[in-house]
Amino acid sequence: MKLKDILSPLYVWKRAFEKPYSIATLTEQRPGSPVYRGFHQNDIDKCIGCGSCAEICQNITIDMVQVKEAKDGDSGLRPRFDYGLCCWCALCVDICPTGSLRMSNAYTWVEEGLDKDVRETFCFTPGVDEKPWDSEELGYKRPNDYELLHLDRVPMPHLPVEERLSSFVEMVKGYSRELARKEADRCIQCGICTATCPAHMNIPAYIKAIREDNLEEGLRIMYETNPLPGVCGRICTRRCEDVCALSHRGEAISIRWLKRYLADSVEGQKYAEILALEVQPRNQSVAIVGAGPGGLSAAYYLLKMGYKVEIFEARPAAGGMLRYGIPEYRLPYEAIDKDISFIVSLGAVIHYNTNVGKDVTFDALHENFSAVFISVGLFDSNRLAIEGETLPGVISGLDLLDDVTNGKIPVLGQHVLVIGGGNVAMDAARTARRLGSDVTVLYRRREIDMPADREEIEEAMEEKVAFHFQAIPIAIEKTSDNRLNFIWGKAEMVQQEEGKRPVPVMIEGSREQVVADTVISAIGQSAHYHWMEGNAITNIRFGRFNIEADRWGKTSDDKVFIGGDIFNRTADAITAIADGHRSARAIDAMLQQKA
Amino acid sequence: MADLYPPIVNGKSVYDLNSGKYLKMWQGPQHPGVTGNMSLELIISGDQVVDCKTHVGYLHRGFEKLMERRRYINCFPIVCRICVPEPDTNEYLFAAAMEELLGVEIPERALWLRTLNLELSRLASFLMWTGGQSGAFGHGTVAQWALAHRDYVLDLFEEWTGARIYHMYMTPGGVRGELPEGWTKHCEQVLAGVEKLLGEVWHVMFNNAVFKSRAVGLGVITPDMIDHFGVVGPVARGSGMQRDVRKDSPYLVYDKLDFQIETETAGDTYARAVVRWKEMHQSISLIRQILKNMPASGPLHVTLPNVLHLKVPAGETYVRAESTRGEYGYYMVSDGSAYPRKITVRGPSYSHAMALLEHLAVGVNIADTHGLMLSLHTYPPEIER
Amino acid sequence: MKELYDTISLQFTLKDFHQQKPNLAFATAEKQQLIALLTYMRDVHRYTHLVFVTAVDWLEENRFQITYMLHNYDIKADFGIRVMLDRDKPVMESIHHLWEQGRVYQRELHEMFGIDFPGSPGVNEPMILEGWQGPPVMRRDFDTAKYSLETYDHRPRDTREPESHMKEKLYPED
Repeated sequence: MKLKDILSPLYVWKRAFEKPYSIATLTEQRPGSPVYRGFHQNDIDKCIGCGSCAEICQNITIDMVQVKEAKDGDSGLRPRFDYGLCCWCALCVDICPTGSLRMSNAYTWVEEGLDKDVRETFCFTPGVDEKPWDSEELGYKRPNDYELLHLDRVPMPHLPVEERLSSFVEMVKGYSRELARKEADRCIQCGICTATCPAHMNIPAYIKAIREDNLEEGLRIMYETNPLPGVCGRICTRRCEDVCALSHRGEAISIRWLKRYLADSVEGQKYAEILALEVQPRNQSVAIVGAGPGGLSAAYYLLKMGYKVEIFEARPAAGGMLRYGIPEYRLPYEAIDKDISFIVSLGAVIHYNTNVGKDVTFDALHENFSAVFISVGLFDSNRLAIEGETLPGVISGLDLLDDVTNGKIPVLGQHVLVIGGGNVAMDAARTARRLGSDVTVLYRRREIDMPADREEIEEAMEEKVAFHFQAIPIAIEKTSDNRLNFIWGKAEMVQQEEGKRPVPVMIEGSREQVVADTVISAIGQSAHYHWMEGNAITNIRFGRFNIEADRWGKTSDDKVFIGGDIFNRTADAITAIADGHRSARAIDAMLQQKA
Repeated sequence: MADLYPPIVNGKSVYDLNSGKYLKMWQGPQHPGVTGNMSLELIISGDQVVDCKTHVGYLHRGFEKLMERRRYINCFPIVCRICVPEPDTNEYLFAAAMEELLGVEIPERALWLRTLNLELSRLASFLMWTGGQSGAFGHGTVAQWALAHRDYVLDLFEEWTGARIYHMYMTPGGVRGELPEGWTKHCEQVLAGVEKLLGEVWHVMFNNAVFKSRAVGLGVITPDMIDHFGVVGPVARGSGMQRDVRKDSPYLVYDKLDFQIETETAGDTYARAVVRWKEMHQSISLIRQILKNMPASGPLHVTLPNVLHLKVPAGETYVRAESTRGEYGYYMVSDGSAYPRKITVRGPSYSHAMALLEHLAVGVNIADTHGLMLSLHTYPPEIER
Repeated sequence: MKELYDTISLQFTLKDFHQQKPNLAFATAEKQQLIALLTYMRDVHRYTHLVFVTAVDWLEENRFQITYMLHNYDIKADFGIRVMLDRDKPVMESIHHLWEQGRVYQRELHEMFGIDFPGSPGVNEPMILEGWQGPPVMRRDFDTAKYSLETYDHRPRDTREPESHMKEKLYPED
């Protein structure tokens, strides 16, 4: 043992003169660091109750409890934390699709009263139960370049604009297997979209089927609520995507394109085998007026229940607006035929070129069938109601689309005006572009007010369709060289009623004009009911514009049901399909009751 | 002396407790020699240990079982809890094994930040050991110094990762979060403090007659025992083995850093302590090198396929890293599903604290058993996972 | 490491070679040859370090896999040797004479998987689960969640799934 080894430890005394490490008092406040993972905060107005936080939690810390009323895009549920289970990993914050959830730097919580129910101790719903750290700025937020979700869509291959304008070939190419699975992988499966879909399709389930490459299962899931998936996969108004949880910080899942992928990936011949319907035949038969999406959907579900179905269709082919109102480049006829031929293969009898009211009376249907489902659609174009509307060269958008479907090639001339801002207006404008004309669209409100799909507007712009907004038609005159002089006035947007959208009011004295070869009006459609005339109609009660019916489409005559565009307000394919499904169930219930 | 030890029959000591010669004594589970719970069943004769049996299981939380029933991403928050004083090795190895099976490469800067994280946590863990080792030999002052400085390192972690103990920073796919502004400066202050501390510890602990007399010659591990007992890390280096995973199979950015394997030759408690003392200096130097050479900017994370549905391709792998106790490893077997088929955690304490300790403890004075255990640097949670 | 595999294959029956990365490979050995193989690997090829021993339960195939991971410090390479056991009668020869910590691994595997290693010192003593009466816990057919629900009190939960909750609130009839 050396002396040094005995003296050296005395070095410890040197420390006696230094500042101590320990802090002075225990009560001293010591806030967590600026990125500290402390108690949670939730902006409950931003939160949509998708439950991703609860889903990713490894220790079932989070209960989703009802805080608000459920509505489109918001389940009304909010996360409730149990700090007896939380492990502070912050994965809930990282995955939050809206970014509403974060953590404060607070870490002390004294719970008073040991007699409390165990469910109440150290449990709280951030943003609802008031806590001292609610307004704390510091604490963990998801770092900027760290992201668990894929917020960007897998891009959908499109035909280039030049190619699009030269033909009616479908412009959206569709996902490949690889792209579809990648897109499906983005889905967090919260199911917020299901409520918004008019048909309440089980969207998360079929997206899961795509992800797992189980196409047959996916097809089965789709057919539970929608017998026209190939159609909807192309032209659905996809309100589901508007509420997609991912749309809050990024791009919604391409639900529509995924549906299309699924429908396109299974060969039509295999449908019967995959969907293998075990049908118990019943004696009653149901008449359906109109082979549009509503009628076809009702037919499918009635056939599935074992009823006999006869469809009366005025035109030479089935599909209604799908075929006669939507141009081929958006919805090719093969896609319509694929979905329809499966329904036909189940035994639906379709009487083509059969006008009810002319070729067969409504009374006869009412008499001979156990129930009648009416889904005739809106095929009467609304009039512009201005001077010169009847001049040659003024046509309706539907007429144009109809002609093109029927193989006629209309002569539109060099310059075409399209009046209106809905999907028919866009379809007419883009069809006219494909027929070689220059196209200008006039719409009475602003661009953001246009009822057409955002995508359609953008694609129309890509295809060099010109737009005049806030343009109110005044009159149409014939010019000396046999063209059309369209006179319109500029409008300003006036907020007339609080809470409603502003209305366009023409600026006094404003008068503009534009010369065109063809004017296409596309300002909405309506229906008429002359064809129903007879005895049966007397039991059916009419409202101001329409037949009155409950949410099942049941009219005051218990044998008569309605659905589709004449019944619902949104007038789109998916709602018509939902109507058909709903009415099919109501017809079944009615017939079962009678039996 | 000869009859001090009971006869050995079939590899087992045979003793008659009723003979009055031997006493059975339990140390633990709140054992002063480890961070965590573990107990020793000692048979003593006088104050000499003649037989030792280790008992673990007081901390068993069934992590390997839990992981089989969780999605991969949900294993991430729990792996760090396998080893409390040095959780980051688990985070790194879990992420690395998963990334390897997924075929994911993480960004360059994330590699540097992971290395920084690992070295800082090695420093914190060594400081904890310093506290324990000195405390076990009665040097309460040094213990408090060391633990206070460990807390400064934890402050750094808190400022950087948002948590003091379970940092959960190395997510599969990279790391989360930048170094905050001013952190590098704080880090340098803490490192300077630890450096100063190490000097003082040398004076007060290593140059201490008491420490020397108790540590020198205690628990000698000879080179031929190394592989036979599966000895790794500073314990092996204390016996002169030139082995360090960071050098042998470099991971992260260790091949871009300048350091030497620190060794001692005596193989006793004192030598192992010196190795660790040197390695603290080494960690400080490595942290400084990282901060100096790290790319100034760049991505930190690659987004994996949606972690809620992530399936890892079928396969198996083993990844290892050098923790303060030596080779730490994760053996991951995937059957191609969203849940790990099996994850085996290889904690170095597993071989050190059971078979090796039972061997070394024989002949040791009972007052020195704590010091001996600490010189093996045992963290029981990684034994039973 | 294929070369090494080929060399060993001259004397031992190996299959399912898999090179995971340049210095890590796996192969499956015959159960009867295992001890000889490990000894040969340790003494001839200098795979002196037993990194770990662990088991994987392939419940669906009614097999246990035991993995012995060996490391060669000279060339810094790992070789994982797998052995497949019949899950109904899992018995394996002991390696406690080759490596001291082998007995600890074997004791653990015996407790966690119910794999027997006759002759391994203390293999029948409980290591972690003192007083445990149930089946070996690491077997995949032991359901921890079920056990915990049956055995312990649970704080009642009232959580709701967004999708079904919205159906109940917004369109219960559809």
